[in-house]
Amino acid sequence: MSFLKKLIKPFLVVAPYVFRNSQTVSYPTERPIFAERFRGRHKLYFDRCISCNTCARVCPCNSIKLVEVEGREGKYPQIDYQTCSICGYCVEFCPKNALEFTDLVEYSETDRSRLLYSPERLAVVPDLKEILPMLKRRTERYLTKTEIKYRKVKDV
Amino acid sequence: MNSLLLLWNLLVEFLTVNAKPLLQVLLLPGMAFILGFAIIAVWFERKFLARAMLRVGPYYCGKRSGVLQVFADFIKLFLKEIIVPEKTDFLFFAAMPVLVSTLPALALVLIPFDQNWVLWNMGGLSLPMFFAIAGLAPLLPIFAGWAANNKYSFIGAFRVAYMYISAEIPLVLCGAAVAIMAGSFDLLKIVEAQQNMWFAVPQFLGFVIFFLGVIIAAERTPFDIPVAEVELVLGWRTEYSGILFGFTMMAEYVMFQAWTLLFITLYLGGFNGPNIFGNPTISHIFWFLAKFAFLVVVIILIRTVYPRLRLDQMLKLGWKYMTPLAVLNLVIVLAMKMWGIY
Amino acid sequence: MTKHFIEPDVMRISWGPQHPMSGQTRILLDVDGEKVHKIIADLGFTHRGIEKILENRTFLQGIIPIERMVMADTANIGLCYIHAIEESLGIEVPERAQWIRSLLCEMGRINSHLYAFGLQAEATGYFPAVFLWTTTDRTVLLNLFEQLTGARWSFNFNLPGGVFKDLPEGFEDNVIEGVHYLRRRIQDYWDAMVENAVFEIRCDDVAVLKPEDAIRLGATGPVLRGSGIAMDVRKDEPYAAYADLDFEVITEPACDSMARTKVRFKEIGQSLSMMEQIANEIPGGPIKTRVPLFARSKPGEVFSRVETARGEMGIHMFTVNGMNPYRVKILSPTLRNMYVFERLCELDEMLVADVPVVINSIDPWYLDSDR
Repeated sequence: MSFLKKLIKPFLVVAPYVFRNSQTVSYPTERPIFAERFRGRHKLYFDRCISCNTCARVCPCNSIKLVEVEGREGKYPQIDYQTCSICGYCVEFCPKNALEFTDLVEYSETDRSRLLYSPERLAVVPDLKEILPMLKRRTERYLTKTEIKYRKVKDV
Repeated sequence: MNSLLLLWNLLVEFLTVNAKPLLQVLLLPGMAFILGFAIIAVWFERKFLARAMLRVGPYYCGKRSGVLQVFADFIKLFLKEIIVPEKTDFLFFAAMPVLVSTLPALALVLIPFDQNWVLWNMGGLSLPMFFAIAGLAPLLPIFAGWAANNKYSFIGAFRVAYMYISAEIPLVLCGAAVAIMAGSFDLLKIVEAQQNMWFAVPQFLGFVIFFLGVIIAAERTPFDIPVAEVELVLGWRTEYSGILFGFTMMAEYVMFQAWTLLFITLYLGGFNGPNIFGNPTISHIFWFLAKFAFLVVVIILIRTVYPRLRLDQMLKLGWKYMTPLAVLNLVIVLAMKMWGIY
Repeated sequence: MTKHFIEPDVMRISWGPQHPMSGQTRILLDVDGEKVHKIIADLGFTHRGIEKILENRTFLQGIIPIERMVMADTANIGLCYIHAIEESLGIEVPERAQWIRSLLCEMGRINSHLYAFGLQAEATGYFPAVFLWTTTDRTVLLNLFEQLTGARWSFNFNLPGGVFKDLPEGFEDNVIEGVHYLRRRIQDYWDAMVENAVFEIRCDDVAVLKPEDAIRLGATGPVLRGSGIAMDVRKDEPYAAYADLDFEVITEPACDSMARTKVRFKEIGQSLSMMEQIANEIPGGPIKTRVPLFARSKPGEVFSRVETARGEMGIHMFTVNGMNPYRVKILSPTLRNMYVFERLCELDEMLVADVPVVINSIDPWYLDSDR
């Protein structure tokens, strides 16, 4: 008798799932809002950097090198995203907080040399609508009693 | 004017009497039905399973519903290169996928959709003919597995052999019990004998066993042992690529279709049903297709819920449980017939 | 593999790297019909030389490569290395940091067990439902990681001397909400999967590993606890905050694959109750002690161990006067369990169709055994 119960009960548990909503983010038209501490691409502040070389020495992947920038004095960091593992040590241990994380994760390119970000490129953070022209909404995740749902926070 | 009327009468007579087989071959139960079912079933299964897995299925092809995805995959398979390994037996290797998807179609044309809508009307021999043709179908994967010269295909081939030997006997016994109760081997007469009550009710044991047998014969989970993807990379289908692979995928659906239609004819009353359209032919076809759609949804749901059985467990099920119960079913039917209960 | 002799009448199948279910490994099976005579595990496809990399990085930089050993519960593995550094440099860790470290470890353990459960479902042919449900439920945990640390799976949040940052605002409430949600979902898995008639037929009495064999061959983790032996590093040598938390070690008396799956399943329940305890009772205080960025070590030798989701992991470290360690030797749990797997076909009869079920009940992660 318990064999029959074990045969029928999974059917009754699984079949109602067909009527639930899907838990998919339809990506190019929606994009979730990430947390505050999220680690994405870096952003450099020129006026705070003092060229102390700490970020280059503490990077475990040897991705940072200090180079000269035309029009400014001193040397500033360039980051090679082919080897960067986004560990956060350069942001954490900079004495003047010159490096910061943004929430951009779309940095794929068609040419490998474009993955070496010069200091001028690091200082500029483009708007999301330029990178994803199909973007319509920003959503956030919340939990109900039985499922994970997404609700719209703002239109873009 | 008179000659035009004569021409029109001749045309109508030609279409309904002489060319009716042509309509049947092209539309129903012929090429349009089989190909249409394969396309709709693939799309429906992908969307249905995706819903059970809490995701969307095909989404972008065809305006957010993914209906054109099946056509896109089919065209992609046509344009791919067919890679033939070196030491294979080329005639068997290339011929088997084509045969294994068309042989069950030959069995399908025996099934009646209405009193006057049977493509191949064999009269008193239609049920044994179905079993004969559909029983040839498992030989073809065995040839294909041997011809591919690959260890995975070889293991898949002998698993097919084991499975079918144990599954055919209960199926044939249940078919014999139905024929005894109806008094004839003709599929049309079996359907007519179910006008008052479907055979599923007095032969409940046979109903359950034949249902299990349909899932085994169609090779769907929980019995898709020859094509167990996690152990052998696709079993006897491993070495096929391009359009030959497309044929092997279609073969599964044609086999499924043939056995399910037979199951409805034998146990669920065939095309019987109340007359709601006025024209009895169209009503019968509608009820047949409605019962078919319901069963397809139930079998796809069973795929969602249960894992796959192992080969020796399936053989134990076939020999230890299904065959004695099928014999018991036959004895019960003989008893009912002898004492005049039914 | 020509040095392994093939007997006559036996076919050698390679459950190999090009296979839908094998992972990043090759396992050679000597098969006679359906029965498996011998298993040879050919590991080493993903060897990256982590032990050599660690010799060229300072102590702080070395946490990054070693956390990428297993992607599912990275917190436990990083913690093993950090314990070794703290013991050799003599650093004290404040109490609040210990509790935050335990929270991360338990969340990583649930993450890994949910993934293993989904793979076990896929291995028995039950692909449609359970595998993708567990993948979806892990997003609850990944979201919690993202709020606390900033990254989703490889968050080097532990530091020799404490943790990097404190808990953000409202984090404890999010943890408790996540715990309640996961408890309801686990009840669904129990009904649909573990108490499923066909799943029981498939996993009961398959690859029985008796207790004396388990000890003799050196099994570890849920493989050992599924044979009835209660050994767990969190109870035998408590580290982080485990001495103050209230939990029990799960064992199962039946020694087959079903028992190992049930051990993992019930451990998820234990970890959820531990998360709730930590969120309610965490003490206040500082979160790190100050350690120089490029610390120097004295000559010495140290051994530390930790209970990861797959078993017990150990690090044996030699240091000299300098900023880098001299030699680091990593003892991985998967390598020991794969040795047990090779001997299982001699201890109990195994068919070809059982191989995926048994492998996923042992739960290997090949980046862990190849380092």
